[in-house]
Amino acid sequence: MKVMKLLEQFLEKSTLVGNENRLVTTVDFQNDFKREDYEYIHLPGLNIFLDKQAGEAGIRRALIEADYAIAETGSVVIDSCNENLRLASCLAEKLDVVFPLSKLVDNMHDVADFLEERTSESGGYVAFITGASRTADIERVLTVGVHGPKEMTVIILNDL
Amino acid sequence: MTIHTKIDEKLNDKVLYQNLKGFATAYKASKENAYKGLDFEALRTKVHDLKDRDLNKVMQQFNQFKENVEKHGCKVFQAKTGDDACRYIADVMKSHGAKYMVKSKSMTSEEIQLNQYLEKEGLSPIETDLGEWILQIANEHPSHMVMPAIHKTRQQVAKIFSDYTGEKVDPDDIKAMVEIARRFLREYYFKAGVGMTGANVAVASTGTIGLVTNEGNARLSSTVPPVHIVLVGYEKLCDDFGQALDIVRVLPKSATGQIITSYTTWIKGRTPSHKNADGIKETHYVFLDNGRLAFLEHPKFKEALKCIRCGSCANICPAYEMVGGHVYGDRYIGSIGLILTALYQGDAAAKDILKMCIGCRACSFNCPSGIDLQTLISDLKLVVGKKYGINPVKKKVFKSVVAKPKRMKSLLSVGANFQFPLTTTNKLNQEKIIKTVPMLPKEMDFRKFPALASKTFSKRFFKDGYDQFSSQRKVFFYPGCAIEYFYPEMGLAMVKLLQKSGIQVDIPKVAACCGIPAIASGDPDNARTMIFNTLDKLNDAKDYEALLVLCPTCGGAIKHEFLDFTKADPDRYKKASQLGQMVTPVGQFLEDQGIQFKVIGNKTVTYHTPCHDSRSLSYSAEAFLSSVLGEQFIPLTDSNVCCGFGGTYSLDFSSISNGILNKKIENIEATKAEILVTDCPGCVMQINGGLMHQKKAVKVMHLTEFIENHLVVVE
Repeated sequence: MKVMKLLEQFLEKSTLVGNENRLVTTVDFQNDFKREDYEYIHLPGLNIFLDKQAGEAGIRRALIEADYAIAETGSVVIDSCNENLRLASCLAEKLDVVFPLSKLVDNMHDVADFLEERTSESGGYVAFITGASRTADIERVLTVGVHGPKEMTVIILNDL
Repeated sequence: MTIHTKIDEKLNDKVLYQNLKGFATAYKASKENAYKGLDFEALRTKVHDLKDRDLNKVMQQFNQFKENVEKHGCKVFQAKTGDDACRYIADVMKSHGAKYMVKSKSMTSEEIQLNQYLEKEGLSPIETDLGEWILQIANEHPSHMVMPAIHKTRQQVAKIFSDYTGEKVDPDDIKAMVEIARRFLREYYFKAGVGMTGANVAVASTGTIGLVTNEGNARLSSTVPPVHIVLVGYEKLCDDFGQALDIVRVLPKSATGQIITSYTTWIKGRTPSHKNADGIKETHYVFLDNGRLAFLEHPKFKEALKCIRCGSCANICPAYEMVGGHVYGDRYIGSIGLILTALYQGDAAAKDILKMCIGCRACSFNCPSGIDLQTLISDLKLVVGKKYGINPVKKKVFKSVVAKPKRMKSLLSVGANFQFPLTTTNKLNQEKIIKTVPMLPKEMDFRKFPALASKTFSKRFFKDGYDQFSSQRKVFFYPGCAIEYFYPEMGLAMVKLLQKSGIQVDIPKVAACCGIPAIASGDPDNARTMIFNTLDKLNDAKDYEALLVLCPTCGGAIKHEFLDFTKADPDRYKKASQLGQMVTPVGQFLEDQGIQFKVIGNKTVTYHTPCHDSRSLSYSAEAFLSSVLGEQFIPLTDSNVCCGFGGTYSLDFSSISNGILNKKIENIEATKAEILVTDCPGCVMQINGGLMHQKKAVKVMHLTEFIENHLVVVE
């Protein structure tokens, strides 16, 4: 039951920042997702990959698996040390992130050990991502897509 | 340009006024939302405590950080001064033949004026934060730490962009302007040989930095170019991720009212980078001292090094809201800006701007690191006041009048007797006011001044026999100058009420000033004399149930400032401490007695919470009034925001004071209440003066007068 409460909290916060959120089974996800929609895919959990180095022109859409998600803030946590993954997540017009429900944690401190582990050795880059790239620097008007993704979709695999 | 010219220029800037006013309102609501369900006090105490450390501890953290990154081939440079840091960064750029450096927002780089330095060297730093980029191409500097271009309208930005790009820019289309920034800056990320970021936290246990951003520009600056330079002050170090996350939990909530920003990024140096021959990023850390290390050992100013740069002390500052960060601060902005200007750039650079603090203490209560900002400003005011002198007229008045209670009494008594040709009765409320103050500068003419009372409070107290009432139950009452000379009826209303309840009220034989006017003006010597005068004339604590005040500013002084000024004098310190613990605002005392009141008549009432009631004495009469008055009570928007008085501040910075007062009056009018109650004679003087000047019919009353006239005790 606790996980449903966390999910509710996650969805509330994730919706608040303008994300589209989808809850699906793994089978449905695998059947429905169209590989050709993406220019970059990194889903180690499902063993689906499509590699590309995003350049100045950016890429249309990327699909990335998160290591964790945080209910407290509605964030996904992605180890982005892999340079192409990092470029894709920074430069995609649309960013889709997938995570299994079992990776949803209560709060930021629950990933402290993960951060410690992933940045202990040479080179480490872990991102909490909570919505599209945004700014309010002109007259405090919220505008998305200033440097990075203009849209974000979160796909939660509710059977994993 | 003098500070007053600068202030006037900003006060005439309608765009700035609207932008800051709109932001202040929106910020309060979103911050409250962001912290909903969380214990703000507990969170900020945590951050305060984890940042509470000495030089030794910080150097331990630094050495651990350094070891963790150097073992993987990162470079660490310790910059003693801003110029050292600038030179190092320029050298890194030159060694790579890099003309361009993309940088994400870093207040530390503003502190050391990095861009100016690099440009002189023929190098091109490119600000990639949208607000910073707007200002860079407009050749300006930030007016807010988190929203650097808050002083600009979309039309102004459109003009800046169209001049810069040579393209036509729709002056109303913000989305299109953001697209322009995306297009132009994207090119620079890929052109730049070096990327620079700051760091919101630097985690010693692994050598990882944490960056909190919304736009994603720090991610691109730290990812695309082959070289990454991190510019960071030593104070950003923390032990581990537990501490870092404690900071990240409060930072965005206090900064912009967001639960979290779009991106919180944790970077350890030497990430993969295909642009380098070895496929690994070159990483440099520039740790900046520039005075920080010295102040870590300072008993008071080390507090300033707990700042996490959220900018929220500006967001809730009523004076900042009037003039913005180009005047209220320097390289750093808001309350912390006044302080850091003094610490990093020297007191000469800070001596004028420090005076702009009105002393409302809102920042101290709002700081997510628990820094008592207002006290630090007050301390610095005393330092610069002593070193550079204060307004000579004020100094003379403090020295030869206010610090000499008998002379003050006889002078004001002469004033009271001979003021009659100048006084008149204000028609709307039948109160005696000064008709016109001779030679009053125009900007000071924004409120009516009350006439001096024909007899002082003390005179009436003794003459009318209030000292004859005796009882086992006793309280001591410190009237303060405003009650003594201007508003004796507020004091007498309280005395009558308490005596009716069987409580004896004693007062000092001779009235003396609490010292706050001198402290606020930066005059420590006269402040000390005033404090000793007052303290020596207060009766010992042991015979009394409470030390009552009708002016919370005086009460706050006895409770807090008296301790500071008596530290070197054990007897006085002990007395101040014992009395300080007994200071009670009258409303609090009445509530504690459990006396039941009911309202007579059907007048509608609103309430202004005095700054020093809520923030020096932890009291507000709002709950009391609301429960007694029921539907007749109408809550005031921003009730606990300053009214703009600040004692002599309202004369020194009359135009700021007037601006703050006007917002208060707008809120009062919006309640449509017939009576405004407050419990500070200073707030009464300011608000009533403003309402009378604007010919508004709202009646202003001190809590004691309101109780006397509109409530009855339920037997």
